[in-house]
Amino acid sequence: MADVAPTGVPLALPDAGMQLRTIALLRWQIFKNSLRTMRGRLEAVSWIFVGFWFVALGLGGAFGIAVGSWWMVSHNRSDLLAALFWPIFIFWICFPLVATAFTEVFDSSNLLRYPLRYSSFFLVNLIYGSLDGGTVVGLLWLIGAVLGISIAQPSSTPWAVLALAIFGAANIFLVRALFSWIERWLAQRKTREIMGIIFFLIIIGFQFIGPLTQRAHRQHFQLPAYISQAILIQKFLPPGLVAGALGGSVRADWLSAAGSLLLLSAYAGVFCLLFHIRLRGLYAGESFSESVSREKVSMEKAETQSGWALPGLSGQLAAIMEKEARYLSRSGPMLFALIMPIVVLLLFHMGGNPNRPNAVAHNPNLAFPIGAAYCLLLLTNLIYNNFGADGMGVQFFFVAPVKMRSVIIAKNLIHGGVLALEMCLVFAATYFMYGSPAPAVVSATFVGVLFAIPLDFAVGNLLSLYSPKKYDYGAFGRQRAPGLTVLASFGVQAVTIGIAIVVVLVARHYGSLWLATIVFAALALAAWALYQAVLGRIDGIALSKRESLIATIAKTG
Amino acid sequence: MDTPAISTTNLTRRFGDFVAVDSINLRVTPGQFFGFLGPNGAGKSTTIKMLTGLLAPSAGRMEILGLDLASHSLEVKQHIGVVPEGMALFGRLTGPEYLNFAGRMYGLNRETAAKRTTELLEFMQLDREPGKLITDYSHGMQKKLALAAAVIHGPKILFLDEPFEGVDAIASGTLKAMLQRMILRGATIFLTSHVLEIVERLCSHLAIIHQGKLVAQGSLEELRSGVQAMPADQHLAGAQPEKLTLEEIFLRIVGGARSEDQELSWLT
Repeated sequence: MADVAPTGVPLALPDAGMQLRTIALLRWQIFKNSLRTMRGRLEAVSWIFVGFWFVALGLGGAFGIAVGSWWMVSHNRSDLLAALFWPIFIFWICFPLVATAFTEVFDSSNLLRYPLRYSSFFLVNLIYGSLDGGTVVGLLWLIGAVLGISIAQPSSTPWAVLALAIFGAANIFLVRALFSWIERWLAQRKTREIMGIIFFLIIIGFQFIGPLTQRAHRQHFQLPAYISQAILIQKFLPPGLVAGALGGSVRADWLSAAGSLLLLSAYAGVFCLLFHIRLRGLYAGESFSESVSREKVSMEKAETQSGWALPGLSGQLAAIMEKEARYLSRSGPMLFALIMPIVVLLLFHMGGNPNRPNAVAHNPNLAFPIGAAYCLLLLTNLIYNNFGADGMGVQFFFVAPVKMRSVIIAKNLIHGGVLALEMCLVFAATYFMYGSPAPAVVSATFVGVLFAIPLDFAVGNLLSLYSPKKYDYGAFGRQRAPGLTVLASFGVQAVTIGIAIVVVLVARHYGSLWLATIVFAALALAAWALYQAVLGRIDGIALSKRESLIATIAKTG
Repeated sequence: MDTPAISTTNLTRRFGDFVAVDSINLRVTPGQFFGFLGPNGAGKSTTIKMLTGLLAPSAGRMEILGLDLASHSLEVKQHIGVVPEGMALFGRLTGPEYLNFAGRMYGLNRETAAKRTTELLEFMQLDREPGKLITDYSHGMQKKLALAAAVIHGPKILFLDEPFEGVDAIASGTLKAMLQRMILRGATIFLTSHVLEIVERLCSHLAIIHQGKLVAQGSLEELRSGVQAMPADQHLAGAQPEKLTLEEIFLRIVGGARSEDQELSWLT
């Protein structure tokens, strides 16, 4: 600890290393303290299980990549290395975006009250922001590649380590930059709307791909021409560049290797710069609000609009549903998550092989159920943590004359409504991109969801009370669910999908998919009975768990 | 004999081995402006949380307007308004949306909720920026909004946990005006605060909790008389008993002597 400076003499900034160690110690202390409670211990055990799966995925993939890279280098096929690095790159970038439950962006804004150097602030954001499953798996896969190349050609080891380290750094910077910029764009209505418009223009643009491809085929265009162009372009992108750098070193073509590495380093630098620009703004105290700007505020005193009136529902239910809908509509990250099923369908469609019409890419009868299942998966963040975004407001539900059963029903209704809307969007996307799915498939999918959703609601309602976690609808990628919730939701999804597969196989065995609809309808009745049984006990559970719920959700900071 | 607005019998709350509230017996009659005081960690917030349904008691009984809180919680909640410690605000709603929501949760119809929302926003001077999210409100604005939400249904009893904490003089004046108006109309107000000057000015009756135990209860005059009967100590030497302020009474009862021997020599 530095000596105290005499009055009037400015104190020197604290040592950055000491500050970083202090922050690490703080995080460790917070973790240790969390183990004092049973919930904290369960949470830790859950994350150990989840971590085990990530490590298994990482090690399994690393082994495959090691074998692949060894084979390519030892058989003089280093030109194929890009085929290994592109999947790594895509996984690394896309995984945090499509699976935000496993992703956490460290909210370092609280640290700004202390005399923290910008370099420390940058490092803290980089290091803690990178502690997610995608990065761990990606790094393990890169280690696999290093091992494979080193075994095949030991002299290439230093170069491989250098090239893959730069590639890893570029990926980490890119993910962090993407997260921070998307969060920035989603923070305000105006930029969010621009993003939405761009997204839908892209969607509409892709509608022309099918007809254009067909026309190209009619005009005897050669598809390999596109592929050769793509191969040429990919050489100038990070995965292609790292493959080029490694391939060059294996062939002793050092000029090519150094050029690729230089360009790869430039990419890493640009991604780092993009991340730095956002962090610099945050460091300077930049804050974006959802509110209308001060200049635009009307000074006229307007009459308050009456709230929602929903036929057949009480005023309380309508009020809670209105509140939930407003929360969702103001959350850019949530809206972003809700369009992801369409993005996934789009990616499948683009990545498909036209010579395999039964693959997901060209089969609406596969694409629609998969899209629907993904919708359900994305909603787990909401369904399994009903109160997460309520903040201090969660207290209101306990001081107002309302049964927790009503609150939960209202939340389930709005989430069910979102799912219904999503299903319709997925259907429309499937119809336009893939063609019309068979009526029996549409029916089985919708009734299958009617079976799955009450199960999710029943378990989700319980976990919302037993394992709540505060999260911020306004922050992109800070929606990491509690470990227990992740495990439980995975369990429910696994059981649901397993049952669905068995039902569909049985229906196919008997030659009619309509049979699946009937079986799903029967299962849906049982699932709804379970949902009702849970609802019947929810008031008592909520009362018994209110203290921990309020303490967790309404906590500040 | 009138039914008390609030009464507790041996109300107790334990957190593990620690007894935060120890068998307290409170009695607040209808129409009282009741101040509930105590040093930090004395059990004030724990008590108010139990009285408003945010926390379960470990033992004891609570009655609000003659109704047992444990068995009639919904009926009780219809007649009370609460501004808890965290203010119970939904940060991503606007002020008008939140008040409308609160009104409907307390059973008001859509038109009445909307009308009262407009009136309350105007009274609280929160009607200038209807599109602003609560999360962007200043602390004082949030306090005013929380109070507006707590009274939108015209409660018979209002529970306020530190309503003046972090509130400027202008907002504080608005809050006090509203509370005094409610008292004039027969409501009961149960308030905790550290700002003893405000409590002294507003409250007709007081209770003091210290280390979980209720150590004094009565009107200001009754507390003053009680203190006069106690042996004088050095902190109150020279003070005229009939002119003791609430702060002096409070310090005398809870023994808030501060050692001035220690000096933080490094503090500039």
